[in-house]
Amino acid sequence: MDFEAVIGLEIHVELNCATKLFCDCPNRPGDEPNANTCPTCLWMPGAAPRLSQAALEKAALLCLGLGAELQPLSAFDQKVYYYPDLPKGYQLSQAHLPLSRGGSITVTNEQGEARTLRIHHIHMEEDVAKLVHELEGRQPISLVDFNRAGAPLVEIVTEPDFRTPHEAMEFLKALRTQVRYVGASECSMENGTMRVDANISVRPRGTDQMNTKVEVKNMNSVRHVGDAIAFETARQSAAVQAGETVAQHTRLWDPDKKVTLPMRAKFEGPCVPDPSVSAIELTPAWIESLRARLPEMPAAKAERLVKEHGISAEDAAFLSADTDVADYFEALTAQGVTTKMALHWTATQVLPAVRERGQEISASSVTPERLAGLLTLLARDEINANAARDVLVALFESDASAEAIVNERGFRQISDADELGALIDHVLAAEPTALADVRNGVGKAMGFLIGQVMQASQGKANPKLIKELLAKKLDL
Amino acid sequence: MSPIYRFENPDPASALPDGPLHGMRVALQSTVSVAGWPTDADSAALTDFTALEDATVVQRLRQAGAALTGLTRASEFGFGLHGSQAGEAVRSDAADAELVLDMMGECRVAAARADAFGLLPSVGLVSRLGLIGLIPSMERCGLLARSCDTLSTLLAALAGPDGRDLTLEETPLPPPAPLPDDGRGVTLGVIPQALEGLPVAQAEGFRAAIDRLTAAGITVCELTLPEYNLFDLVHAIVGAVEASSCAGRYDSVRYGHRPPGAKDWNEMYLSARGAAFGTCVKSFLIQGAFFQFERYAAYENACRIRARLVAAVQQLMPQVDALALPLADRVPEGATATLAETRAPFASTLLASVTGQPALALPAAGACGALQLVGSRLGDARLLALGGMLLALCREGK
Repeated sequence: MDFEAVIGLEIHVELNCATKLFCDCPNRPGDEPNANTCPTCLWMPGAAPRLSQAALEKAALLCLGLGAELQPLSAFDQKVYYYPDLPKGYQLSQAHLPLSRGGSITVTNEQGEARTLRIHHIHMEEDVAKLVHELEGRQPISLVDFNRAGAPLVEIVTEPDFRTPHEAMEFLKALRTQVRYVGASECSMENGTMRVDANISVRPRGTDQMNTKVEVKNMNSVRHVGDAIAFETARQSAAVQAGETVAQHTRLWDPDKKVTLPMRAKFEGPCVPDPSVSAIELTPAWIESLRARLPEMPAAKAERLVKEHGISAEDAAFLSADTDVADYFEALTAQGVTTKMALHWTATQVLPAVRERGQEISASSVTPERLAGLLTLLARDEINANAARDVLVALFESDASAEAIVNERGFRQISDADELGALIDHVLAAEPTALADVRNGVGKAMGFLIGQVMQASQGKANPKLIKELLAKKLDL
Repeated sequence: MSPIYRFENPDPASALPDGPLHGMRVALQSTVSVAGWPTDADSAALTDFTALEDATVVQRLRQAGAALTGLTRASEFGFGLHGSQAGEAVRSDAADAELVLDMMGECRVAAARADAFGLLPSVGLVSRLGLIGLIPSMERCGLLARSCDTLSTLLAALAGPDGRDLTLEETPLPPPAPLPDDGRGVTLGVIPQALEGLPVAQAEGFRAAIDRLTAAGITVCELTLPEYNLFDLVHAIVGAVEASSCAGRYDSVRYGHRPPGAKDWNEMYLSARGAAFGTCVKSFLIQGAFFQFERYAAYENACRIRARLVAAVQQLMPQVDALALPLADRVPEGATATLAETRAPFASTLLASVTGQPALALPAAGACGALQLVGSRLGDARLLALGGMLLALCREGK
């Protein structure tokens, strides 16, 4: 029998707010253990939670960015379970009245078709503490670091619309881009600021039944999510094929063995409304003022880039995957750089260069203005492409303009026919074999000769002119 | 050892030379956080716990120049009055006022028991930051004193937003609507069902008080509240579920007593929590856990009923200046009691606990007799003024 998977995702995103969700402690989980704690996030007796306005705004902006509908009334509930990482025996989460409902992301499946994957709802919740297991002598001990306790999270719960690992991975990549766009989170699975659980069931392909689902956790990259879903789909398909029943439970992805393994069930009860955090009432005016702060989102940006700059959909998708990259590209074109050159230099030169230097493109010392100075010289044939790459390196190393660097270091291209002619004569005299090959129509030899002339000019010759002069001299 | 205090402030004098509460001696319970004091809510769950910061009410007492005398003996988490000395510091003139946590009527019954006056402020008026109770949606900082005037002064000093408890009303309250010029303009509403099933002495005491008020010229009208008997049910279910969740923080991880020998976390929780709570509180928590995990639909129904009761009482209020309800003024002796025995004295005080309205307890020894006046939400100042007016009228009527 042929099976298909039915997959829904639950994605936790840690908001990059300055403070925690219910107190003013810094939201910096990586600091010295328990440095960022107070009576509220330790939930000492008498603690009073104060919902952070900044976290609410960031979460709401994230919802709007994903096309979700903010709810006029949402509220926090107590999700009860007992574990030492949870200082009050319950987690504050929005179980009954979430911040938003609906929303979707459209991705391209393996067949190249557009697939719209729906979001069921998005809610806010607080993160829990971190447990560190150590040995004290021979006694195993567990230490609790409450720095992360109370950090602001949103959970994005999708509809079970996914059918393949590819769709899940594409969704996560697009989600990450969109959340970064609104500036709500870095969404790094490696650093734990995005955590994904997948609910997976299988059914005979073509049917619409919903079978018992299994939850898979502990994937720490988008690739692992795909691998875990693929493994779990195969495992369940084989089980059903063998006549076994799939029981509802939770499994952990083991990235080394590339398998999912059952984990011990955690006790969880129903959620009760929390009486200490006031309900959140959002007015239409507030929502609209927030919507006005929403940046142009990736899909709209890509569409506009195609329309305004005449670039391919693929290039537009590449640029708009990072709003800073798209901004850089557009700033170059605004400086008069041609679309083709701006695209080529942004993608193949500037991006690798800033990454190599551990910089952000938006904060790079090679601003679009400085680079445009360089590209203008290149476009005017005042320098050649080789020199341009060297000038780029120089731009990173000093504050000087491209023009100044070119003048100072003598990068200006040799476009003087007499000067080049002398170099060509010299090379032809030194390379009789190549010369013979050219005359005999060996194509490669021409390139070799051009290269030799370029070398003789210390990289400064105008390659177009060399070719012209060579052709003329050899009567080709 | 003091029979009333379990902790006496060695240096009670106010640090300030004046202030609206200057010279007022105020006693607290161990359910009110005072930095550095053993505010352990009289529970083994908070063994050796000292508060890290002052409750907002304590900060405001200090800022107003009050003298903090110490912590009176309380029942566990201030739940019920068995083993509690609430009101005794005022009765014996060891203090001028007390703050008494009120989760189902403790402050009001304690006031009546001590021949004093007690106020349960409206929900949203006095900060709950630093109060260590069990039922967040019902518990409030009750005020207890020898006169309504003292309660008014105290309330004015304690009420208002603090930027910490965001459930408080932010907008300033409008000045209270004026009281009628004379007693004949005052209307009190009584709910006949409130007398059903009460101990005979309590019901008779209430009737006597109503007679005295009528004789003084007050208009008393009967109101219909068919679901009155459901206040007890709502408190028993919603209150218990909240308590069960709320007490989850007493897990012995960060403080409290952890019995040795547990093999894993689950055992640690079971042994620590098993040892932490007394029988009565434990019964209440187990009752709450039962409804949360085994009868969730009943809990949801209780929440719906609560909303209906709040609306029903709100509809009655425009017809009257206040509701008049009976008030128990004694609690059976004994330091411990079953959950049912603990809750028994509070049958008539649950209404205001559930609806969030203010309630003023008048003692039997007062001119009107033992009763509670329940006002409209946030109408606390008017309720206190009304109480003072009724007392004056009854005194004249004598």
